[in-house]
Amino acid sequence: MSSRPAYLFLLPALLLYGAFVVLPILQVTAYSFFSWDNGIAQDFVGLDNYARLGSDGVFWAALGHNAIWVVLTLAFPLLAGLLLAAILAERSPRTIQMMSAIYFLPRTIPLVVAGIIWGWIYNPLFGLLNYSLDMLGLGNLAGAWLAEEGTALVSLNVVGAWTFFGFCVVIYLGAIQSIDPSLYEAADVDGAPWWRKFRDITVPLLKNSTLFLGLYAAIEAMRFFDLIWVTTQGGPGYATEVLTTHVYKTFFLVGDYGYASVLSVVLLAIVLSLSALAFRLLRVK
Amino acid sequence: MNRFTRHSQTVVLAVFALYALAPVYLVLLASMRSEADLFNGPLSLPWPIETANYLRVWTESGFSTFFWNSLKISVAVTVLVLLTAPLAGYAFAKMQFRGREALFALFLAGLVVPAPSVIVALYGNLQALGLIDTHIGVILPQAALLMPFSVFMMRTVMQEVPDELIEASTMDGASPLYGFLTVVVPLARPGLMSLTLIVFLFSWQEYLLPLVVLQTETLKTITVGAASLQGRYGVDYGGIAAAGLIAFAPLVVLFLAMQRSFVRGLSAGAVK
Repeated sequence: MSSRPAYLFLLPALLLYGAFVVLPILQVTAYSFFSWDNGIAQDFVGLDNYARLGSDGVFWAALGHNAIWVVLTLAFPLLAGLLLAAILAERSPRTIQMMSAIYFLPRTIPLVVAGIIWGWIYNPLFGLLNYSLDMLGLGNLAGAWLAEEGTALVSLNVVGAWTFFGFCVVIYLGAIQSIDPSLYEAADVDGAPWWRKFRDITVPLLKNSTLFLGLYAAIEAMRFFDLIWVTTQGGPGYATEVLTTHVYKTFFLVGDYGYASVLSVVLLAIVLSLSALAFRLLRVK
Repeated sequence: MNRFTRHSQTVVLAVFALYALAPVYLVLLASMRSEADLFNGPLSLPWPIETANYLRVWTESGFSTFFWNSLKISVAVTVLVLLTAPLAGYAFAKMQFRGREALFALFLAGLVVPAPSVIVALYGNLQALGLIDTHIGVILPQAALLMPFSVFMMRTVMQEVPDELIEASTMDGASPLYGFLTVVVPLARPGLMSLTLIVFLFSWQEYLLPLVVLQTETLKTITVGAASLQGRYGVDYGGIAAAGLIAFAPLVVLFLAMQRSFVRGLSAGAVK
């Protein structure tokens, strides 16, 4: 059979993808090797622009925040998703359907809107969080959550987790439902308590889902932008700066084409390596 | 399982349901609250119930325009992806051709490309094409950025179509496109439905592209509008809440109506 029909089938998707994704990636890579003046490329300068990474404290801080974001995501929404899925799996199909819909709901909300909603909850003057702490007699724990360097990043991660844990529940549930029920029955015969079945059967058999969700979370942690931009824009100071906001500011606010391209290339290199690792480990066919 | 374990597990389920729903409930309350009622605490029931916030943002703050702009862009992106990704996914799933592996790898690589990492070049390109401050300038890159996910998902969907049915259609001498439209598309309908929903969702949620491409107030989308309302009227909490609700209500309704399609689509594109 000739290849022609296949190429014709591929052509429209390939043109669109090539023109608006592949081409800009190649351009950004090329831009990063030039010196720039007023948005016009001047001379080929080799790796000179890259040399600036070493002394750019904001870049290293941003990279650190991206890394912290990954760790926090693994520690909270992923773990919560695993626990919730294991509990839910033993309930009636109606409960499963209803609860997973509830948990998943925040993911349908645009991150911009999520940022606005949670910005309120964290508002130091009238926000729900400080209000609730007051009600519980814990008023001394109240704070200006997003406005303090110590709490801003963690507070935002709670918002990220809010939109992500339902996805973890759904993925884990799908995997649990394919575990052979006779394993649990055998454990029941031995009189094993719930948490031991969870630890010895459920968790080990969900290794692949955990791997998938962990890599997914790591990639998303490098990609996210909206949530930070509508809440803190990387502040206070540089406390919530991440790689994407650093690119945005370097390009749109400073107008530094060469260095913004360097940061873009670094960002691309990280997400592409993570994705290559994911495909390798998960053996996608 | 003893009763204590079961009850404490129910408590865990309920606490997380509260975590998921409380913020949404809070905005709902705030959007119906009058300004005078604002200081009765965030959890008090609003009384009297106000529709003034909705009317104000819809008519005065331009949200009717933002809403239609978002709808227009999201529908256009969805149509564009539906016209292109299923064909490509089918080619990768069922057709033999030279360079198949390499081309598929090219699409796979794009799966994780974040919009901010290409914006430096994309912005200049859109400028050169005269597409800055136009809806086309948002629609084309957005469809392109969603293409890898869509092609990947469509390939998974198309692999399920039985080969015998495809062979039967080509034996009649029909062209590949005719066979695709009459045999494959009807069989792949649930998958196409999932793709439609997810692309619409992602496109409606998009923030960066409309933020940098659109400058004229009357061209902006609902996410950009909601974010700028927050900055502009720092104290109009009722208005911001109403705007937020207008921005996500269509998505929540779509999701609740077609939950199965959504979840299947998201996990099909994700794992295999």
